[in-house]
Amino acid sequence: MNRRRAFKIRDRGPIFTAVVYIVMFIVLLACTLPFLYIIAMSFSSSDAILKGKVSLFPVDFSVEAYRQIFAYPHFFRAYKNTILYTVCGTAISLVLMVLFAYPLSKTRLKGQKFVMKLVVFSMFFSGGMIPNYLLISSLGLTGTVFAMILPFAINQFNLIILVNFFKSIPEELEEAARIDGLNYFGILIQILLPLSTAALATIGLYTAVFFWNDWFYGLIYLNSELFPVMLLLRNIVNGTTMVGEAGGVGDKASVAIAVKSAVILTSTLPIILLYPFLQKYFVKGMLVGAVKG
Amino acid sequence: MKPNKNKGGIVSPSARRRYINNYWQLYAMMLVPLLYFLLFKYIPMFGNILAFRRYKPLTGPFGVSWVGFRYFQMFLKDEGFIRAFYNTLTLSSMNLVINFPVPIIFALLLNEVQNLKFKKLVQTFSYMPRFISTVVVISILTELLSPSSGVLNRLLQDAFGLEPIYYMNEPDYFRALYIITDMWQYTGWSAIVYLAAITGINAELFEAARIDGANRRQQVFYVTIPTIMPTVMVMFILKVGHLLSLGFEKVLLMYTPANSSVSDIIDTYVYRMGFQSSANQYSYATAIGLFSGLIGLILVSSANYLSRRLTGESVY
Repeated sequence: MNRRRAFKIRDRGPIFTAVVYIVMFIVLLACTLPFLYIIAMSFSSSDAILKGKVSLFPVDFSVEAYRQIFAYPHFFRAYKNTILYTVCGTAISLVLMVLFAYPLSKTRLKGQKFVMKLVVFSMFFSGGMIPNYLLISSLGLTGTVFAMILPFAINQFNLIILVNFFKSIPEELEEAARIDGLNYFGILIQILLPLSTAALATIGLYTAVFFWNDWFYGLIYLNSELFPVMLLLRNIVNGTTMVGEAGGVGDKASVAIAVKSAVILTSTLPIILLYPFLQKYFVKGMLVGAVKG
Repeated sequence: MKPNKNKGGIVSPSARRRYINNYWQLYAMMLVPLLYFLLFKYIPMFGNILAFRRYKPLTGPFGVSWVGFRYFQMFLKDEGFIRAFYNTLTLSSMNLVINFPVPIIFALLLNEVQNLKFKKLVQTFSYMPRFISTVVVISILTELLSPSSGVLNRLLQDAFGLEPIYYMNEPDYFRALYIITDMWQYTGWSAIVYLAAITGINAELFEAARIDGANRRQQVFYVTIPTIMPTVMVMFILKVGHLLSLGFEKVLLMYTPANSSVSDIIDTYVYRMGFQSSANQYSYATAIGLFSGLIGLILVSSANYLSRRLTGESVY
């Protein structure tokens, strides 16, 4: 029956449209409800959480959990560490990748093809976890800030995005600049970089998100005073680290839940807040990257 | 125009001088990044020889004496490894079967949304989980599923009177939870490629189909899907190529001794052998890592080769 109706309306049947919109609403809910739940938990009183009254909105609004994590010195330390790794890591990464990608975008440069092959090969075969760890430790980087920043500065995927971007800039621009007496460093800084802000924003964002979200390398390379916030969160959630007055009052579990939720929220906040403004860059990068490198 | 037309090799000394004069700056520019790249990507690659050598603490990353294939023979007989290998293949093929079609369906449906503002909204929200840290995803999951306070157990208890279940600890639920969180995190993001392919379809094809009396649904089945098939093929082959590489960090976060019978995969096994066993069996762990790395390399190259043969498109 809906088949006949679909034919009558010719272009799109109502059932078809309904299915489409229902699915889209489910997707929207799936992407937002978990966050609403965490927000609600973090702002609810421990009593309400314990009685199981909290679902999507805070019950007995309370900022107790936030008061506790802000009074907890390790939280700020970890947050500061994460900011340090993200800012330094992204800066070093961008400088190195620009300096690498520009020469690699010159196909007439001898050796360019070979280096590109090395880059691509290293995407599919790498030293495993242990050789990497042993390299970092024999360089004396374990237990230092550098272990979190240096090994990840060149990401092959982002590098290829940048190389392709530089290739797409018309050669004539550079030739004109060379006739005017600019050398390659000058061309890169004065001509290419101003044209590449979108590409740089894209790979800069990917890099920053990587550094912000990283926890595993903190786990194997660092000791606790250098832990990034994601590792602290992981330790709080799996019970390795206790926060606040968890040992004090009788409603231990419920305080812990509110505190966990508050840590989840505060550690993701920068990404959630910045995301809407930056998402067009993210998507652009995905599409450039999908074009073969 | 450029002095070095001869790409294959520089013949005369003067041409070589000209070439160097022209390009030394580019070489100088990439010197530091290149050395850096070789240090952090290629030295560990050579570090894989540790798989064939005995490791001694404080003697550097390459081991002290050759032992041949001893570690390989050891792990091939190791039941823990065999279980991890089986778990890896099972989890990733289940994940592939379920999570490969989902982004395609999502992209097809999203493309049917006429209201552009709403479409944009859905897109924006659906990409977001990709940028959330795995730690946060698993922490949220743990809270939602908590047996004492989690909303799921509470709802099931209220509605059906079910006893609370500690889902994160139950081997029976591990794979499902892994697959569902992957779906949550990556569906929107993976759909971008397909959406781009759909947008690239020549509008005349739809025009012709409409003139022939095809409704919207028929257009999807007889125009859109066949046209994006090459993209689908390439993505599928790629996914098969990466069959051995699961989201190691996520599995490690979800790993508990109670669910280890299904959640111990190759990478977590390597991690435990290297860092958590009392002996720090670096050589043994390296051998396992190298083995799975080589299988991965073979899978990727054959997938790429197949893709080139079948669709004329190779990704690398």
